[in-house]
Amino acid sequence: MKSKLILLLVIVMVAATILPGCAGTETEEPSEGGEDISEVELGAVLPLSGGAAATGVKLQAAMEVAQDIINNEYPDLDIPLAATAGLANMNNAKINITFADHQANPEMAKSEAERLIDQGVAALAGCYHSSATKPASQAAEQYGVPFVAGSSSSAALTERGLNYFVRVAPNDDMETGMFFEYLKYLNANNGTDISTVAVAYVDNEYGVHAHEMVEKWLENQYADEGFEYVGAVSYAGDVTNVDTEVQQIRDMDADALFHASYISDITMFVNKYKEFGVAPQAVLNYCGGFQDTQFVVNLGENGNYFAGGAAFSSDKLEDLPELAVINEMYKEKTDADLDGPALEEFASIMVIAEAINEAASLDGDAIMEVIHSKEFNAPYFATGAVKFDESGQNEVPASYVVQTLDEEYRAVYPEDISTTEPVAPIPPWDER
Amino acid sequence: MVKDKKKLLIIILIIAVLPLVIKSRTVLNALVLLLIYATLGEAWNIITGFAGQTSFGHAAFFGIGAYTSAILFFRYAISPWFGLILGGIIAALVAGIVSFPFFKIRGHYFAIATLAIAEIVKQIFVSWDYVEGATGVSIPIIPRDSSFFTRLINLQFNERLPWVYLTLILFALAIFAASYLENSKVGFYLKAIRESPEASEAIGINPRKYKLIAMMTSAFIAALAGSLYAQYILYIDPFMMFSLDISMKIVLLTVLGGIGSVYGPIIGAAIFIPLSEFTRIQLGGSGTGIDLMIYGLLIVVITSYQPKGVIGIIETVRNRRNKNNDGGEGKGEAAS
Amino acid sequence: MEQIITNGLLMGFIYALVAVGLTLVWGVMDVINFAHGEFLMIGMYTAFWMYSLFSLDPLIGLPISMIVVFLVGVFTYFAIIRRVIDAPGLTALLATFGFSMSLKNFAQFLWTPNYRYINDAVVSGHSIKIGTISIGTPQIVASIGSIILTILVMLFMDKTRTGKAIQATALNKNTALLMGINTKKMYAITFGLSGACVGAAGALMSTFFPIYPGSGALYSVLAFVIVALGGFGNIKGAMFAGLIIGLTEAVGGYLLGTQFKYALVFLVYMIVIQVKPKGLFGW
Repeated sequence: MKSKLILLLVIVMVAATILPGCAGTETEEPSEGGEDISEVELGAVLPLSGGAAATGVKLQAAMEVAQDIINNEYPDLDIPLAATAGLANMNNAKINITFADHQANPEMAKSEAERLIDQGVAALAGCYHSSATKPASQAAEQYGVPFVAGSSSSAALTERGLNYFVRVAPNDDMETGMFFEYLKYLNANNGTDISTVAVAYVDNEYGVHAHEMVEKWLENQYADEGFEYVGAVSYAGDVTNVDTEVQQIRDMDADALFHASYISDITMFVNKYKEFGVAPQAVLNYCGGFQDTQFVVNLGENGNYFAGGAAFSSDKLEDLPELAVINEMYKEKTDADLDGPALEEFASIMVIAEAINEAASLDGDAIMEVIHSKEFNAPYFATGAVKFDESGQNEVPASYVVQTLDEEYRAVYPEDISTTEPVAPIPPWDER
Repeated sequence: MVKDKKKLLIIILIIAVLPLVIKSRTVLNALVLLLIYATLGEAWNIITGFAGQTSFGHAAFFGIGAYTSAILFFRYAISPWFGLILGGIIAALVAGIVSFPFFKIRGHYFAIATLAIAEIVKQIFVSWDYVEGATGVSIPIIPRDSSFFTRLINLQFNERLPWVYLTLILFALAIFAASYLENSKVGFYLKAIRESPEASEAIGINPRKYKLIAMMTSAFIAALAGSLYAQYILYIDPFMMFSLDISMKIVLLTVLGGIGSVYGPIIGAAIFIPLSEFTRIQLGGSGTGIDLMIYGLLIVVITSYQPKGVIGIIETVRNRRNKNNDGGEGKGEAAS
Repeated sequence: MEQIITNGLLMGFIYALVAVGLTLVWGVMDVINFAHGEFLMIGMYTAFWMYSLFSLDPLIGLPISMIVVFLVGVFTYFAIIRRVIDAPGLTALLATFGFSMSLKNFAQFLWTPNYRYINDAVVSGHSIKIGTISIGTPQIVASIGSIILTILVMLFMDKTRTGKAIQATALNKNTALLMGINTKKMYAITFGLSGACVGAAGALMSTFFPIYPGSGALYSVLAFVIVALGGFGNIKGAMFAGLIIGLTEAVGGYLLGTQFKYALVFLVYMIVIQVKPKGLFGW
């Protein structure tokens, strides 16, 4: 009788395991091009719950804008695939992006990527968090499915030697070089004398790697050009207060501070800087909290004069008419202007769609062939193009240096992209 | 000896047959994760269910196992089979050394100490360059055209099926080991220690020695699960491996299934894992967190209405039947 | 260094207030409330919405936060805890864990995951300077608030009839029942009181800490450690333990590296518990 109970339970167990199977479909292979497909299936794995869900939702919106532009006719919009409905070389097939949530958890990222692959997606995009992008793209590599990461910034992603992976955003290696050039520019143009450099970084992959890049560039080049490393402060991502950290930063008294932080920590830092009167001559932020539009919302005028890398700033809308149109469409979904990561994810969908169109095929190898060789026309980026090198890195830097002035992001460097002069040194707190 | 060998074999056989019937990769993925967590639950049950020392830090051993095999493969191209065993040994040693001084500490205080251990281990790994620190380890992917034999040596498969069987074998080992332990001398001593530490000492049982055995066995098995997990996900970092979330998941699914019973973990995992996968697949992707909210609510409902776990339901039903068959066959059945 | 110590103490008082609520519940009912961090988050959001929608300064919104989370606590007791209180210990944990997940995601569902911040409260942006030490006004107000509330709770437990009734229930539920104490009501009040404390903490912290669905998480883990360190059920213990943890975090972080702040906190716990296996003041 007990055995009967156990057996009953096992059946319950089995049923419980089958349940998710009813949700998913059987294994499918993406079909070859040229057949009568009406829809090209794509997948995107994003953080749609948990701490970064705010960002994830925006990235989803940006991808949906791309989907809209590709699938419908926008004859006046001068970006690839806008004028036609769907993909011209695929019998005008429309793209359909299925979104999945990785909850900032690498195990989920892998599961979701594989689930989408099972459903027969021709390519994957995502995941924002580098720690999620890694396993998701590992899975894609195993099955030969192209993966285009938009905004994940960890340089380690393109150091794995994967054949089916590319990334649109500049990595922190490139950005660090740009930051140093910016500092040199400030010294020449604004009369600052920045020489000592310190780093504040969140103690995870993103922050640790950014810090390594600062040390690397100093060692390889910029120490000889007059820059000196004075120290670094690192902290846990969920920290409850940054009192001690800011103390240490104050003690270091560096001319320039590099910040690799997220929105919740950078908000606390800025407030503490004000409280302790910490004002280096320049503060440079990596792709993280600084780019989150909540930065200026939460900090108001206290957030002024901070600089960082960004692929988008609203002052460029005048110079880039295509970007203005895209921004309007995005605003309708999110009530906010685009930001760097959203634009980069937008670009990733464009790249995938253009590659499929040009390859006229859903075959992973054919798509990757195009992705690796083509120079993509990207009039929505200030730098105008996207081109991937052998390691999969977009060698055209999608971002430029922006500074928060009057509670807005303004392009300040390089000169051919800038709309305003940077302000440096940062005025002391009591003089604002 | 292992009690109810037949029952255990039946369960294992049913799971073994499943993948031949259901081909959906989503289901098989859920099955692999389910088996890994069930193994972790069996391991955890040994120290918490049998010995009564609640652990909130089992992710530490899970992670140590994962890291050992991952680093050996990543740095020295040593087969994960070797790393698996070595990881188990290291985890057992760490568990023994670190937890031994804390066995005299009881109940919740001990539980928080295990939580502290896991967090400290996490910090160590984050700051330690040799294990790649915060960057994590991306396990190198072997070429797509590798033979099955190569794949077996390197524990990397393109298909889910081998993973189902590998994790099933591990789970089978775990549940048999747990059952054996439970019904052995060690097991009886552990129960005595759990129920009344003073009385057992009076009889001459050394509580610390047996708790040590339990802890080390528990850690060993957890580490084996960790190694398989690393090879399955192909990426590990300290934040995902040593997380409180994983430690709590292990606690939760075992309690859900019924703590102290070897069937608890597999039942709990069979409910818990598909539930979370299901809610995420169906309701995730909206950015509103609805899937997790419903998942949480379901947990609340299940526990509120059956606090003793699913095993509790079985016992309640059985007791009712026994009362009906008054004085008859019901009496002879001992609790399993 | 005095600055560091001051900061550590200020944070310590705030940690203590968060822990007081938890130690009450744990000590009186032997229930681990995993949703404690979410109670904190609800307190913070309440203060935020009072500020955002009605322009109420968080200090004025504080009583409202307390009442709201008090009610949440009472609700939690009646809806969930009541059913699991006699079950094996870990079941209550499981239930509150599920509840914490629901609350966190419900907050995300209602209010989006965006990080909110109150930057224009009465206390924002000001600081007091004593010698070389600068103390942010939000923090000192929060600390003083925490101290006052903790003392109030201690007085409540020791001096009022209800407080003593709760203590009696904690010591021996069955005897308390025999003495005519409505134990269910006591439990509900305890849970509510726990909520009120942490709701107050949330309102106080909202002036300098970002508000988002996950904001309670680390505070929750630290609260567990503090409660265990101080001894379960011991309010004085929670206060002292909170201070110790705050100091460890600040001083240890400064001396050994801020990335080790929390690892040091855990290490301190493990060392203290070796010497005092039931916490500093446990019994």
